[in-house]
Amino acid sequence: MPVQYQSVLEEHAAVRSDVGMFDVSHLGRFEVVGAGSTDLLVRQLCNDIRKIDPGRAQYTMALNASGGVEDDIIVWRIDDERYWVMPNGTNFDEIASRFVAFAPDTVSITDLRVRSVLLAIQGPRAADVLESVLGMVPGRFRVRSGSFMGHDITAAGTGYTGEKGAEVYIDIAGAEALWEAFTTAGAKPAALGARDTLRLEMGYPLWGHDLDDETTPLEANLAWVVSWDHDFIGRDALEAQRGHLTKKLVSFTTEGRAIPREGYAVTTDTGHGTVTSGNFSPTLQHGIGMAFVSPPPGQGESLSIEIRGRQVAGAITSVPFLDR
Amino acid sequence: MNFPEDLRYAANHEWVKTDGSNVTMGISDYAQDALGDIVFVELPEVGRQVTVGEAFAEVESTKSVSDVYAPVSGRVTSANAALENTPELVNTDPYGDGWFVVIEATDLSELDSLMDVAAYRETAN
Repeated sequence: MPVQYQSVLEEHAAVRSDVGMFDVSHLGRFEVVGAGSTDLLVRQLCNDIRKIDPGRAQYTMALNASGGVEDDIIVWRIDDERYWVMPNGTNFDEIASRFVAFAPDTVSITDLRVRSVLLAIQGPRAADVLESVLGMVPGRFRVRSGSFMGHDITAAGTGYTGEKGAEVYIDIAGAEALWEAFTTAGAKPAALGARDTLRLEMGYPLWGHDLDDETTPLEANLAWVVSWDHDFIGRDALEAQRGHLTKKLVSFTTEGRAIPREGYAVTTDTGHGTVTSGNFSPTLQHGIGMAFVSPPPGQGESLSIEIRGRQVAGAITSVPFLDR
Repeated sequence: MNFPEDLRYAANHEWVKTDGSNVTMGISDYAQDALGDIVFVELPEVGRQVTVGEAFAEVESTKSVSDVYAPVSGRVTSANAALENTPELVNTDPYGDGWFVVIEATDLSELDSLMDVAAYRETAN
């Protein structure tokens, strides 16, 4: 996927106000199937996969023993003991090999990337496009199967934009026709630049920027992804850290159009830190960003960002930046 | 890509147009296209003295931030206030409504090193 097909702002606007399409085939995906699959996921991932039934999807994470985020992951529960695990593309090898290492003989793990394409249809009009092309619309975090021109498809009501829509999995053989059909139905191709501004407006973290293997979900404001009702790798470290955070991911806005970019220094009344993601919000028309601040700021603290030698005032806020 | 014949161009993709000692400048069609959607332009204040080659303005797109260099030494006599709230004018009309500043040049010979349209077209292509 390129940074843009024509214009980041136009592609962003299409997703917010109409419908856009992303080729997200760079995402990792592998199947875990067989008796013992559920137990494997329960141990490897910090959210509890048993909380969802077959036909549902879940946002979760793989942690290391120190509680650091090795990856944030979407899992599609296809059947009782059949899962599609979707790590970030860059972390595929690490996550897949970890599953292979811990899998019992009854579980098989298959790389799905080479045989498939993943298209994300996102936007307020996504349901119309999905209905007209696939004859079905999966609900939010629901997984459904269907077919398109004789090819099996699986679609989940997930995405990374905050809009309604689905991610659709199809064999490579049917992918080009599906792309054409979605385009004909009105989906505007959109690319990485818009994907980044869209996810940032929702405050969704991006691994490698706002998350990494030295950052725990508690520090990243993702405690809601941690399910304490089961044992998982990294749990002991998280328990020790609860209530003793030395840094925290903080979201902020700036008034002007100057962009608080990744790497810029941040100062609060009591601490300092670094911007991990920042951009101009096309919807809000001002700067938005996230930064790790140490120690975590208290109520009402002010924040400023050094933008190329100037101190620019920011306001600490909660995410999403955009109501959806 | 559009490169008007009556302008001269710098290697960093600024364009200039001279009227006596008044030098109007902006960035070229090539530059705006390479930057992508421009969301912020910071211009020098009117009255500021600038030196040729000085990074005196900034352009931010959703993709990146870039410095803009003074093509000539002198005093900034006018700055395009419209860019404050509609920086996209640089994308839509880089040689017209998307102009940056006017500089009252102290030494017009500094412009001699700029390229004419034929030379610039070669570097941009």
